[in-house]
Amino acid sequence: MNKQQERAELLAALHAAGAASEQDEKELEALLAADPSLSEVVRDFQDSITALASSFEPLETSSRTLGRIQNQIANEKGGIFSRVRSWFRKS
Amino acid sequence: MMTEAHSKDPEELVAAMAAGDSDRALSAFYAQYASTVLALLTKMLGSPAEAEELLQEVFVELWRRASQFDSSRGSVIAWVVTVARSRALDAIRARRRRHGDRQFEYQEGDALMTERKRPDVMASSTRWHQALRQAFQRLDAEQRAVLELSYFQGMSHGQIAETLRLPVGTVKSRILAGMRSLRTTLPIIHRAMKT
Repeated sequence: MNKQQERAELLAALHAAGAASEQDEKELEALLAADPSLSEVVRDFQDSITALASSFEPLETSSRTLGRIQNQIANEKGGIFSRVRSWFRKS
Repeated sequence: MMTEAHSKDPEELVAAMAAGDSDRALSAFYAQYASTVLALLTKMLGSPAEAEELLQEVFVELWRRASQFDSSRGSVIAWVVTVARSRALDAIRARRRRHGDRQFEYQEGDALMTERKRPDVMASSTRWHQALRQAFQRLDAEQRAVLELSYFQGMSHGQIAETLRLPVGTVKSRILAGMRSLRTTLPIIHRAMKT
């Protein structure tokens, strides 16, 4: 691994871990633009951190939460039919 | 693109949501990811009630942004986790502002995997989650600490250095070492799951 690859690996690790500064992010972008093959390293680290983040024991959600989400979306859509359908689904 | 969300293929579900299916596609998508997102939010916020409240906001945002999902940039679960983490960090930062931005004190044991002791975790743990947790428990404690503070608390390397009273270079080295360990762990888990 050459110096540039080592630097890219460090920046990719900081990026995936959420610890990169603005300057780090710009430097990583420039390195990726110069050598697109480095994106593989970024992707590997991102997959790893995603696995970590999704590794906690799943928790049961309230049965009403989905209804509230659909109701909010229906309201945002603004259509009267959407709102009526959502209301009937919940009742 | 499917319009009837019978499939549970994540990308097809997102495409159906982007096409406006807030009924079956969104329900299937929610069934697939809500419990994982709630676990992540609870882990990050430390408050089940706050996490449940934020869960609604996360899924509404995922719905709004469904048309922006780009599979060439990552998987659906990566996208879901990114949105959920971002909203949780917003909530954490808002909480810090409300509490006068006092110094965060890291205590060993706050770190990963402490949710094992929670009484409200679902009894049925999947082999995947068990294998992942075992793998992450093998991470060096110092590596777990920096990943905890960066990923789950949203701290920059400078803030972590200040919190742990370490040189910035040491923090960066530990993050890199931790990420390398995670990267080498995953293929082992994938192989274990196939046997």
